[in-house]
Amino acid sequence: MSDTSANAPARELIAFRIGDQEFCVDIMSVREIRGWTPATPLPRAPGFVKGVINLRGAVLPIIDLGARLGLTTSEPTARHVIMVASIGGRSVGLLVDAVSDIIQLTDEAVQATPEVASEQVRAFVKGIFAIEGRMVSLLELEWLVPDTEAEAA
Amino acid sequence: MTAADPFEAIKGVFFQECEELLGDLESGLLAMETGAADDETVNAVFRAVHSVKGGAGAFGLDDLVRFAHVFETLLDEIRSGRKPCDDVTVKTLLRAADVLADHVAAARGQGAPVDPARSAGLVAELETLTHGDAPVAAPVVQAPEPEADEFGFQPVVFDMAAFEPAPAAVEAEAEVGRWRVVFHPHSQMYAKANETGLLLRELSRLGPVAVTLDQSALPDLAELEPEVSCLSWAIEVETSAGETAVREVFDFVEADCDLSVRPAQDAATVTEAAPAEPELDIAALLARAGVEAAAPEPVLAPAPVPATPELAAPAPFAAQPAAPATPTPVTIRVDLERVDRLINVVGELVIQQAMLAQRVSESGLIRSSGVTAGLEDLELLTREIQDSVMAIRAQPVKSVFQRMPRLVREVADMTGKKVRLITEGEATEVDKTVVERLAEPITHMIRNAIDHGLETPDDRLAVGKPAEGVVRMVALHRSGRIVIEISDDGRGINRSRVRGIAEERGLIAADAALTDDEVDNLIFLPGFSTADAVSDISGRGVGMDVVRRSIQSLGGRISISSTPGKGSIFTLSLPLTLAVLDGMVVTAADQTLVTPLTAIVESLTPRTEDVHHVGGHDPVIRFREQFVPLIDIGVAMGFRDAPLTPGTGVAMVVETESGARAALLVDAIQGQRQVVIKSLETNYRHVEGVAAATILGDGRVALILDVDGIIANARRKSARPDFKLAS
Repeated sequence: MSDTSANAPARELIAFRIGDQEFCVDIMSVREIRGWTPATPLPRAPGFVKGVINLRGAVLPIIDLGARLGLTTSEPTARHVIMVASIGGRSVGLLVDAVSDIIQLTDEAVQATPEVASEQVRAFVKGIFAIEGRMVSLLELEWLVPDTEAEAA
Repeated sequence: MTAADPFEAIKGVFFQECEELLGDLESGLLAMETGAADDETVNAVFRAVHSVKGGAGAFGLDDLVRFAHVFETLLDEIRSGRKPCDDVTVKTLLRAADVLADHVAAARGQGAPVDPARSAGLVAELETLTHGDAPVAAPVVQAPEPEADEFGFQPVVFDMAAFEPAPAAVEAEAEVGRWRVVFHPHSQMYAKANETGLLLRELSRLGPVAVTLDQSALPDLAELEPEVSCLSWAIEVETSAGETAVREVFDFVEADCDLSVRPAQDAATVTEAAPAEPELDIAALLARAGVEAAAPEPVLAPAPVPATPELAAPAPFAAQPAAPATPTPVTIRVDLERVDRLINVVGELVIQQAMLAQRVSESGLIRSSGVTAGLEDLELLTREIQDSVMAIRAQPVKSVFQRMPRLVREVADMTGKKVRLITEGEATEVDKTVVERLAEPITHMIRNAIDHGLETPDDRLAVGKPAEGVVRMVALHRSGRIVIEISDDGRGINRSRVRGIAEERGLIAADAALTDDEVDNLIFLPGFSTADAVSDISGRGVGMDVVRRSIQSLGGRISISSTPGKGSIFTLSLPLTLAVLDGMVVTAADQTLVTPLTAIVESLTPRTEDVHHVGGHDPVIRFREQFVPLIDIGVAMGFRDAPLTPGTGVAMVVETESGARAALLVDAIQGQRQVVIKSLETNYRHVEGVAAATILGDGRVALILDVDGIIANARRKSARPDFKLAS
């Protein structure tokens, strides 16, 4: 677990792994974390939309976050994890490899995304920071939902 | 004024009440028109207009008040017997009710403002009728308009004035009757600023009264709850006005009191049998005062407060066989949103229950175990909860049915035909949304029945039928659906003409072999209209295809059966609710999908030789002398690339809302099931070819096919065969 300097207001982030990379999102946008259950595929959906699952009676779309970021497409197994996030009033399940940590962080610790990352990654990554020798990317969830963006594609 | 919110809320309630009142008004007027009205009907009509006016005054809706006032004035003349109620008058009243409804709609912000000329014209008509041939009739004292206070539209005050002329008008006729009134006000009555004293005074205007106070329920001073009512009164009144008039005195407090009105002779024994009245001298005093002064208020003074505890009240009242006044059902108004939330949660409960049952059975528990028995009980309970919750949204079709008599009259007048409308099963209940969306198709069908179905009176007489045609509208429940039948005893469908038109418009081939039924059903094809000349009534460019589309959009079906010379019957069959759907569960490319049952015409197993290819690709299948496109669902939904090999799978022949047919090829049909409809749009977006989603017993999401979308899509694709959808 990680502590930052005491005085600045810290916010809590939830860190997770996709492949060998680590990302995090604001903990407030995550509603729950659950194991993978087989999704019902949707016709003609973008490749990163795995389908829909039943979340206590609601129909929840599942986004393969690795595929969305242009990293890896993984065939989900029981070990994969779905983070149920609330994005712009909608509930969306984000498929990740594993949830790794809860991090407290001040805004000052976050650096701008270096110019080296690919366009697709830079569109979603708000910034990066180092923690215990690991590099973690802070994600912006608003852009992940396949809304108008995907419909145009 | 500053407290906008509660005020708006009260206003909302007022408009809701207006809807009901306008409904009562209309049905009352219609009863008056057919002569089925008694005094009570006329009074109800008067009260409806009066209540609208009272509320409108409270909200400063001046246009509405002015119109309602003129309307009400005439009605008051009629109900007091000073003005005869003839045919012309009722027709005017009916039109006035229309304008009143328009005024209400305008005040509500729905619909256009009322045409001032039309309104003024009717005002003039109403005034002529009021004053015209009854010059003596003094203008009715207009009530002070109720203040816009919390109880905005309690139009209590006016009624007193309105009743004043009543005894004078009827005094001469009718024999004098003695009525025994037992009146026990509830605390709420006082809370609404009504007073027993005023009511008793009002009663005394009907004739001499003898009032007895029953204070036996009054507790000791120490136990006295000042705001609880426990006094009651027994009043004997001698009047020629009749029971109705006596009851009317209590009209506005009826819901807040126990009231019984009986002929005094009957009650005489009761009086003797009720020795519970201990304070005889006070009773006598009251009686005397009641007769003399007709103002019992001072007499009431000895009692500490007019409202006193109710704690002991039931005891003396139980001793009296005083029947509760009118058993009006108690209702509450609830936000539709709350009901819908409840329906959603119950839908989830049903799914959860089904999942649990499936898990338990998978876990291999023996059937006789307590768990299985408990689960069965749970299932029964869940179904019961679901049914009860659905019943909350259910409404009688009456609101639609009662609009039709006016329509029938108008269309009959326009076409010069004589029509009698018979309605049955008005109390049949169905989902609110279904009720609301039924009005238009039914209107259209009734119009058609009169315009196209019925013959002119002369033609009818010529073929030995009575001059008056009958249109019958029946609603009933049948196997979990609501069925509405609209029939006429007219000439029936002219099949050769229907066929001719269909051929002429290229809807069918000239040599097509069609059964009578199939010919009848041609009228549902888009753009079909059988009127010789486009008439004002039904020739509006919309035909039965529009009716069918709106019925189908509700998950319903429509069919016709017709006998030449005897008439036609249109049958609508609709689901009772829109929250669940009857579906056929099918498998295609390992995916479980649901096809709406209403779309399916028939299913068949295609043989290899039945499938043909138009122009090398685009498979079609022969179905009853007709080639329909064969769509492989697995491919259409993008679940697989190659279609099923011919000769395998099952084809469902489906029909779109526009009447186009196609066969959907799936791997297998699992069976029929009722499913709860879940939106995909809530968390995702619309998906082409998918109408909605549902959750099956195994907890998985299954997609509900959008049959129209799939067929339209397939048609687009075959029009551009080299166009490939990116997947």
